[in-house]
Amino acid sequence: MSHADPTSHADPTPDPQELLVCRHLSYAYLERHPALDDVSLTVRRGERVALLGANGCGKSTLLKVLDGLVFPDAGSYTAFGAPVTEDSLEDEQMSRGFRSRVGFVFQNSDAQVFSPTVREEIAFGPLQLGLSRDETAGRVDDVLHMLGIPDLADRAPFQLSGGQKKKVAIATVLVMSPEVLLFDEPTAALDPRTRYWLVELIERLGTAGRTIVHATHDLDLLHRIADRCVVFSEDHRIVADGTPEEILRDRRLLVEVNLVHPAAAAVG
Amino acid sequence: MTGADGSHAGAVAVPDWLVQQDVALCPCGCVGRRRKASFLTRTIRGGSGILQQVLFGEDVAAAPGLLQRIDPRTKIVSLLALLVVAGLAHSMITLAALYALTLGLAAASAMPLGFFVRRVWLFVPIFTGIVVLPATLSVVTPGHVVLTLWHWHGVAEGVTTQGLLAAARVVCRVAASISLVVLLTLTTPWVRLLAALRGLGVPRIVVLIVGMAYRFVFLLLGSVTDMFQARQARTPGTPRHDGTARAFVGAGVGALLGKSAQLSEEVHHAMLARGYRGDATTLERHRLRAADLGYAAAVVVVAATLIWGDHVLVPR
Repeated sequence: MSHADPTSHADPTPDPQELLVCRHLSYAYLERHPALDDVSLTVRRGERVALLGANGCGKSTLLKVLDGLVFPDAGSYTAFGAPVTEDSLEDEQMSRGFRSRVGFVFQNSDAQVFSPTVREEIAFGPLQLGLSRDETAGRVDDVLHMLGIPDLADRAPFQLSGGQKKKVAIATVLVMSPEVLLFDEPTAALDPRTRYWLVELIERLGTAGRTIVHATHDLDLLHRIADRCVVFSEDHRIVADGTPEEILRDRRLLVEVNLVHPAAAAVG
Repeated sequence: MTGADGSHAGAVAVPDWLVQQDVALCPCGCVGRRRKASFLTRTIRGGSGILQQVLFGEDVAAAPGLLQRIDPRTKIVSLLALLVVAGLAHSMITLAALYALTLGLAAASAMPLGFFVRRVWLFVPIFTGIVVLPATLSVVTPGHVVLTLWHWHGVAEGVTTQGLLAAARVVCRVAASISLVVLLTLTTPWVRLLAALRGLGVPRIVVLIVGMAYRFVFLLLGSVTDMFQARQARTPGTPRHDGTARAFVGAGVGALLGKSAQLSEEVHHAMLARGYRGDATTLERHRLRAADLGYAAAVVVVAATLIWGDHVLVPR
């Protein structure tokens, strides 16, 4: 386990296995509420990375940076060897390529499920990326069946439960078959059955070679959904990077970053 | 470090009143004084009712009926044609025939007639009440006074036969028009209606904004209901109709505005993340079939007959 060396991944020659590379990122909301402070992270092909940290430590902001939705105030971010900036995403080809290769499942499913029906919602991404209607319709049916929700196809989003909305949100991203999947608090507020379903899905996608980055403070299932953990401190910096076993063994670190309560650490 | 009572050092300091075993502020039961629900309460409950109505509406749109089988574009164009007839008709008989036609279409479309009639007549007084009432008076529509309300220089003034007829004509026209619109919206799923508008040349961005606005209404309706219920859960007795209610509404509007802005940013991010670049494409693709053309032809014949009949009944 490495403890907070932000430049540990600095490498002047691009490595095709390094899909997402962040160097010394800093970001502040409204230019005065810091969310990321000198964050460097490299995600390699096929990795399952868990971003761990307390509420408000910057995990979700980093995911938005990785998805090219917000842009850092300082530092650089490259994806698949190309710099991702506001300017570069103005380029039609770059935008299309990047969006088709990186999928993001938002924490708030309501934000992601806005079309009048579930079928339209799932079809939204592939259609925007230029797939034909027939191919899109075929993919939508496949994903609906894969996730076991074909009966929801013609339902309106406001008729769905929280777990169903989460499944639909995941379907909207899987249908685009992205190389990298970003999940923001995927297991939050889910009932046990849906939670374990999601864990199995992440395991399955990982086995299939997808690169997965997810923000979480759910430590119980960490060993199943991640093979690398990146820990944020409450002052928005990366303070540790290691395997789930290494991170979970370091109770002092977990207490320090507010991932476990001192009382729980004493018992554990 | 753990205390004798099992609590940890540095734990939250709980005030005494919170750990006492007394019941809450008012230990008594019913005091026998009742107050009707405020306007605010009724309005917000009405909002929840809208959601249920929409869910029922979706069931109607999915039912196997005549209008459900017709292409939405054909239905929109037919609706416009029949609305023109309603606007041009002068005879009460013509308008009554048009209204009867809408009832027939509702029945053929597996729609409960009681529900359909209630839905229409709920709106009629809103659209016609203010306009129609003055028109019944002799000062607006001169004629034979059937109900004297006052005298002016010795002449009886009040409700006239001609005024009543004019008012009845307006009410029938509005009822027939609303019936046609309700028929369209209840027999067409929202998404197909939007796709039909797009098919008829309404700009893509307008259709997208309308679709998202529809979704937003339900999200905000859910937020309003949650906020109201959270307040209600902390309000012993019946909420008072005083400044606190107005303050709650003001604060609620502000909070909703903030939530709405935040949500709209998230929705926009979610769209960008899936490749949206300002020009949305939809999955729906419709083709006109023989049944659609047959329905359109039937509507044209009915519309022409009604217009001709109206000219015969009311020569101009």
